[in-house]
Amino acid sequence: MDNVKIRIENLSYAYPLSKKNVLNSISFSISGGESVGIIGRNGAGKSTLCLAITGIIPSFFGGKRVGKVLLDGDDVLDIPKKELVKKVGLVLQNPFSQISGAKTTVFEEVAFGLENLGIERDEMVERIEMVLKRFNLWEKRDQNPFELSGGQLQRLAIASTIALEPEILILDEPTSQLDPQGTTEVFEALSELRKLGITIIVVEHKFEKLVEYVDKIVFLHEGNLLGYGTPEEIFSMKEIEEHNVGEPIFTTLCKNMNVKDATGKYPVRYKDALQLLKGAFWKSC
Amino acid sequence: MLDKSFECKNEKTIIVQNVWFAYREQEYVLKDICVSIDDRPTAIVGQNGAGKTTFVKLLKALLRPTKGDIWIFSQNTKETTAAKLSKTVGLVFQNPSDQIFKSKVIDEVMFGPLNVFNEKHEAYENSIKALEMVGLRGKEEEHPYDLTLSERKLLCLASIIAMDPQVIILDEPTIAQDRYSTKIIAQIIKELVKAGKFVITITHDMDFVLENFSRTIVFTNGKIIADGETENVLNEENILRIAHLELPWLVKLSKDIGIPYEKLKELK
Amino acid sequence: MKSISLYVEKDTVIHKLEPVTKLWYAFTSVLITFMFPSIWMGILFLSISLLLSIVARVFKNMIGFVSAVFVISLTMLIIQGMFYKDNVTLVFDFGTIKFYKEGLIHAVLLIVRVLNMIMSFGLLILTTRPSDMVTNFVQKGLSPRIGYILSSVLQIIPQMLSTASTIIDAQRSRGLETEGSFIQKMHAFFALIGPLVLSSLVEARERAIAIEMRGFGIAKQPTHVVLIPETTLDRGLKFLFKVAFLIALTWRVFSWIM
Repeated sequence: MDNVKIRIENLSYAYPLSKKNVLNSISFSISGGESVGIIGRNGAGKSTLCLAITGIIPSFFGGKRVGKVLLDGDDVLDIPKKELVKKVGLVLQNPFSQISGAKTTVFEEVAFGLENLGIERDEMVERIEMVLKRFNLWEKRDQNPFELSGGQLQRLAIASTIALEPEILILDEPTSQLDPQGTTEVFEALSELRKLGITIIVVEHKFEKLVEYVDKIVFLHEGNLLGYGTPEEIFSMKEIEEHNVGEPIFTTLCKNMNVKDATGKYPVRYKDALQLLKGAFWKSC
Repeated sequence: MLDKSFECKNEKTIIVQNVWFAYREQEYVLKDICVSIDDRPTAIVGQNGAGKTTFVKLLKALLRPTKGDIWIFSQNTKETTAAKLSKTVGLVFQNPSDQIFKSKVIDEVMFGPLNVFNEKHEAYENSIKALEMVGLRGKEEEHPYDLTLSERKLLCLASIIAMDPQVIILDEPTIAQDRYSTKIIAQIIKELVKAGKFVITITHDMDFVLENFSRTIVFTNGKIIADGETENVLNEENILRIAHLELPWLVKLSKDIGIPYEKLKELK
Repeated sequence: MKSISLYVEKDTVIHKLEPVTKLWYAFTSVLITFMFPSIWMGILFLSISLLLSIVARVFKNMIGFVSAVFVISLTMLIIQGMFYKDNVTLVFDFGTIKFYKEGLIHAVLLIVRVLNMIMSFGLLILTTRPSDMVTNFVQKGLSPRIGYILSSVLQIIPQMLSTASTIIDAQRSRGLETEGSFIQKMHAFFALIGPLVLSSLVEARERAIAIEMRGFGIAKQPTHVVLIPETTLDRGLKFLFKVAFLIALTWRVFSWIM
């Protein structure tokens, strides 16, 4: 049984009035329930890819999209908006620009999307309570969203989107404007989402944290897909150094000490790196 | 853990003496801050809301202390304005869109220098030098919004460097930057320090601090709870816990492996 | 200030009324007082509004509104009292300054009508949450898109003000003087407007994407999580207002015909 949730086929895109392609013939697929990270230099096309998966590109931006973006077999542009909104959720970088601005309490803010879909009131109230409790915002339900901190706002954005019960959630640099506490809160929320079986796509520069939460990584550079594989496979690619993409700090150490794991790749997760480095250090003593 | 050696009205240091600050009556956001800043590159860290941004605005005379005084090389901030002080202290704001308003990169960079230098050609030369330093030389005629976000942040940095202030304060320079841009910023900071500038930064990136700043000041709830050599301060787990900060990865790694941090440092 | 609002949070009968009911009250009282050139009609409705504001425990705020027009009222009294075109009957004088009955009455009528308008709409605004008002109007047929614009404006404007203050700080840090000659002030203005407009547009674009992804505009008739019930009291009152208005209208038309 084909569990492919998202299939990207030869996707290319250029913004209107621009001759240069921001995405060049990208192809890959993601299975239901998987968590996938997207990495690459600024300008690699990561945000564009996220917006293309939601259909916002090209419908909002114009421009020419070539190729296919298939969600459960249907092209995202063919899915009626009402279904699409219930299938895919999007969380962006800036916590402030994701609140609707039209609601004066956290509770009503979460209701915004549900109201737009015409969900019955009793069900709305149930979903809102569930989602606020799940993301630790229940005590703040009567507060004005603009009084929340950056981390709390991002959790609110995630909660508001999850209330619509999407099967896919895309997060574009969700922690880039947050302090360490806010970052932790968002990554913890991601674990919660994994438990719910939601397919997650997250763009991140905080590699050390990212590798703990994803099964695979998409590596983009200047609009091209350079690699798609496990974090270990990707960060061991020579293009990572060639293009100065960066990697988890402990991976750099392992590379400098030439410490590899059993499969011949450099470790990327903290625990793995720690184990191998411990062995390397205490051996040489 | 406080480094308290300072004297008043020193021409070579910034003195912050018993400074209290409240935005609203009696609600103090900064409490009895005493610190002297010298030419060591200094990182200011702490949770959001701890008072870091307020502190930095006080250094820049955008705010006046409710109690206490701040001397920037013998100039009391109460007796000057932010605009006048911009010859001496430069502050690079976090968000480029809070600042950019010209349609050409060169015009944007020259805005500050034109306010600060008497001769137009001085402003121009300093602007070109600054663009060179941040790696944007050659993009003078481009529109700032045609640059990538990383480049715009570097543009803002250049616009302050071009004013040639003695002190440069960076507010969250690595936010939303990829690893490569972070390396470039680290290089720029090294060059500025070599040129004798005072470089102060607010940041959440503990590894960035460990690598580039020899002094760290930790703020919590409006007070300074630690101030000293970065390697010492960022090794104190209880202080970091109180301040809701995390250990830099390399420090964590060195503790878990059981070797001193210096050994790991060599390998980077 | 997180959002622009004059709402005073209390728990009274008036607060619990449907916003549309209160709106009907405002319309009825304003229309009737404007239909009748009678000071007593105006004073009647003024007293009703005042009484209602006591019931709603917003009397102090109401007085605040009234005092806002105090100076204008005084000016009108003086000017109309002295210079109204149909002035004939002298009432009193201070030497050369003469006040006439017709002008004074005309001014009082005007003042009473304006005060009534302010107080009856003031009652609506003081006792109703802006978002509840918008929700109610959308329930009654206002386009949800317009409803969104109305609600969000009240909160976005304070946000823009705080961004503006950051921008001014950033430009002052680059040597921009905000005091001084007119040229300097113009210079400061452009250094503020540019980034403010640009960053507001960028944020608006991001917000548009965010609300689009949350289904904005999908349902012609969205549902509402906040309950704004129409009670029997509401229905009764609205009926009362409609009847009062019809009676007044008929009475006025008759007396005009006679």
